[in-house]
Amino acid sequence: MSERTIELYIGPQHPGSGHMRFDITLDGDIIVKAEPSIGYVHRSVEKIAETKTYIQIAPLVERPSLADTVNPNLGYILALEKLLGIEAPPRAQYLRTLAAEANRIHSHFYGIGILGIMLGSSTAFMWAFADREIMIELLQMLTGARITYSYVIPGGVRRDLPVGFKEAAEKALRYLERRLKDYEKLFFENPVTVARLKGVGVLKKEDAIALGIVGPNLRASGVHYDVRRIEPYAAYDDLDFEVVVKKEGDSYARLMARVEEIKQSMRIIRQVLEKIPDGPILHEKYYKMIPPKTRKQIEETGRLKFPAAFATLKPPKGEALSRVEGARGEFLYYVVSDGSPRPYRFRMVSPSFRNVWLFAHLLPGHRLADIPAIYGSIDYFPPCADR
Amino acid sequence: MQVSEIISWLINLLFYKPEVFCPIFYPGLVTILALLIFIIWLERKIAAKVQLRYGPLYVTRKAGGILQLLADLLRYMFQEPIIPKTVDKIAFIAGPVLLFATAYVPAALLPATAEFTGLRSELSLLAVLALLTLAPIFDIIIGWGSNNKFSLIGSMREGYIVMSYEIPMFLSTLAIAMVYGSLNIVEIVEMQSRCWGILLNPIAAATFLLVALISTARFPFEIAEAETEIVMGPYTEYSGILYGLLMGASYVKFYVLSMLFALLFLGGWHPSITWLEKIHPAAPGLVVFIKALIIMVFGIFLRAVYPRFRVDQAIRVGWHLLFMLSMLSIAYSLAVIWLVG
Amino acid sequence: MKLEEVLELLKAALSGVECLIGEESGIPTVRVHPENLLEAAKKLKESGFDHVKSVTGLDYPDEGEIEVVYHVSSYTKPELTKVIVALKARVKRDSPKLTSLYGIWPSSAYLESETYDLMGVEFEGNPKQRRLLLPEDYEGIPPLRKDFKIPVEGVDAVE
Repeated sequence: MSERTIELYIGPQHPGSGHMRFDITLDGDIIVKAEPSIGYVHRSVEKIAETKTYIQIAPLVERPSLADTVNPNLGYILALEKLLGIEAPPRAQYLRTLAAEANRIHSHFYGIGILGIMLGSSTAFMWAFADREIMIELLQMLTGARITYSYVIPGGVRRDLPVGFKEAAEKALRYLERRLKDYEKLFFENPVTVARLKGVGVLKKEDAIALGIVGPNLRASGVHYDVRRIEPYAAYDDLDFEVVVKKEGDSYARLMARVEEIKQSMRIIRQVLEKIPDGPILHEKYYKMIPPKTRKQIEETGRLKFPAAFATLKPPKGEALSRVEGARGEFLYYVVSDGSPRPYRFRMVSPSFRNVWLFAHLLPGHRLADIPAIYGSIDYFPPCADR
Repeated sequence: MQVSEIISWLINLLFYKPEVFCPIFYPGLVTILALLIFIIWLERKIAAKVQLRYGPLYVTRKAGGILQLLADLLRYMFQEPIIPKTVDKIAFIAGPVLLFATAYVPAALLPATAEFTGLRSELSLLAVLALLTLAPIFDIIIGWGSNNKFSLIGSMREGYIVMSYEIPMFLSTLAIAMVYGSLNIVEIVEMQSRCWGILLNPIAAATFLLVALISTARFPFEIAEAETEIVMGPYTEYSGILYGLLMGASYVKFYVLSMLFALLFLGGWHPSITWLEKIHPAAPGLVVFIKALIIMVFGIFLRAVYPRFRVDQAIRVGWHLLFMLSMLSIAYSLAVIWLVG
Repeated sequence: MKLEEVLELLKAALSGVECLIGEESGIPTVRVHPENLLEAAKKLKESGFDHVKSVTGLDYPDEGEIEVVYHVSSYTKPELTKVIVALKARVKRDSPKLTSLYGIWPSSAYLESETYDLMGVEFEGNPKQRRLLLPEDYEGIPPLRKDFKIPVEGVDAVE
């Protein structure tokens, strides 16, 4: 501490901090040192998971990351399926993809809205939060829940496509495409937005790799890396989409990477609805366990009743590693089973936690007013990081 | 007899003496309070319309919630203003009061019409400008007195911004005053009966409008109070009526600058509606008010469109753009004088 | 890249380092003594594994040991992007200390700090090591250790 600098604590009670704190050292208006202080919404999902049965963990893992819930759910189920040695039938794989992509659009709108209000554009914030509702409604139609769907279950998904879903989805996508043009005029190409984001918070490719950054932030720095392509899961192998990569690595590139990912996700949803095969939505092994009378009911309504075996899932001794590309980046699960109904160790690495590095790395050298611009552009979500 | 005499004397004093009527009613305090309630309501309504919301609605639902702001004002009045232990008490309490007062006083000096004006002076324009420059000082004083880092940073930002817009403000007003060869607002308006100031010197008009936006913290220049950066800037520690005064002050200042813009560039009370004079001698001045209102609506609409600039970008706008523009406007005025004479 | 090929690659890359290379539940795994961890990490980095995805501590109270697992992978080498290698080292439970891999993989900084915070393993030379997720004044058993019991509150609590 010299006499020139002042220390500033931004958060956790601050309109621009979220559930975290920045310890900032300022020299005039320039940040010389920044360190994120996280953990304000930590609840130790990993420890809680050790006390729960395997099926109970499925809803647990989606709680930390509320804008993006299908992806963490799917990631965990993939690990569990690896332990159990089963794989979901093709129709279920397509439905998983559908839910994951609709959720990705929802999460990206959420992120854009937060960036909007961080920069002071209340309109972008209100619009994005209203338009995220479109995808919430769509997923509600599919899953019956609004935010925490717990849609993906071991061996399949909870519900089949409801009647009229295709038309509803097409309508929603057309609306969002129209809306994106409005956003472009008002927010993305607004001269003030551009002035605030272009060239601010530049993350170089080498640094992005060294710091292990994930998701759109990594791709906006020129690294061609998307788990959906690298290690295809669900139905991504059959689908045609582009991995959005930008070279600039600044805040504006990160914003636009998300915008373009929304467009790609729309493309995927359309393909899924086009190509989705007929068939069961639950793995045969479990489907057989359901009593015939209930099975008939399931076939009529398309809504699954869990087989009793789910309550006592006992994977054999071993380890499983799975990963999915969430909206904010890669979710990694590492589950160690000792053959009991509860995991011996449950490890969940969330994208926001791996992106924590960006605060300490990007903020120094920028102005105080750039904190919200950079914070908003990396789509950091404190509960997702704290777990 | 005595009582009726007193009443008629009082009515005459309050309503027909410009020295009293102007500061109290129009364009002074009463107009300002009514306008505050209306303009903040309108700001919220316009933003809500753009943002697919309703905005204020439930207080007087039939009138679109227009009394919501009155309710808010009452709440501010009766809420306890919390004064933290660590603040400089005199600066903390006197600051908002003086800030509001210095923002309001220039309004009292503005003329309502050619005959009906509170201040008769050859230098009335200069007086208004000089008083306008006082207000930011109190912004800085309350930032210092609050003893809070966010407040301090906010008032430092205010200080930097003031420095960058003040010179363009003076230069652009002087440019238009040069064209008319007068520093008397009434005379300037009278000379605009043939040609509005905005046509005589559009550069000065544009500069003045931008300055008005910057100096009253309209978007995209809402920088000293940037919420996601420094909470509420200089106003962080305030609550209750003191906070209400601070919030009101920037609107009052915006009102004064809009009125000044209407008077200097938009022809003031021209075209004058003479039959209004039968109602009240100040009534023809409503033309100025309507013009100023249009300017204010434009200003508040920007909130729905723009994010905010960074402080260095705003200062750059001040020195690189506005300063240059104001110099240009002086040159333009000289050219106009040389050509037209 | 097949598992056998990955194991071959690891054997070639880690020649000269005392370690155990094999697969565990289908995951290519390198087991090293804590002293050789830094050496093994260096060799792995040289062969293209450029970032750490996760640092996990596993508590084995019966054996008196804590196993620290680094999951490493690559962003840049196309054939390695599909591969996640587990780098495991076991430390004594009563004095769990490791050399930080921060110098080799900066991406491990906060992940190691989390393991320090929740599992109580110290990483020497990690500048970010501190109470990260827990309250700054937290004292007691690290919560992810097996002997930490989640305190029960409310109606289930013992009177």
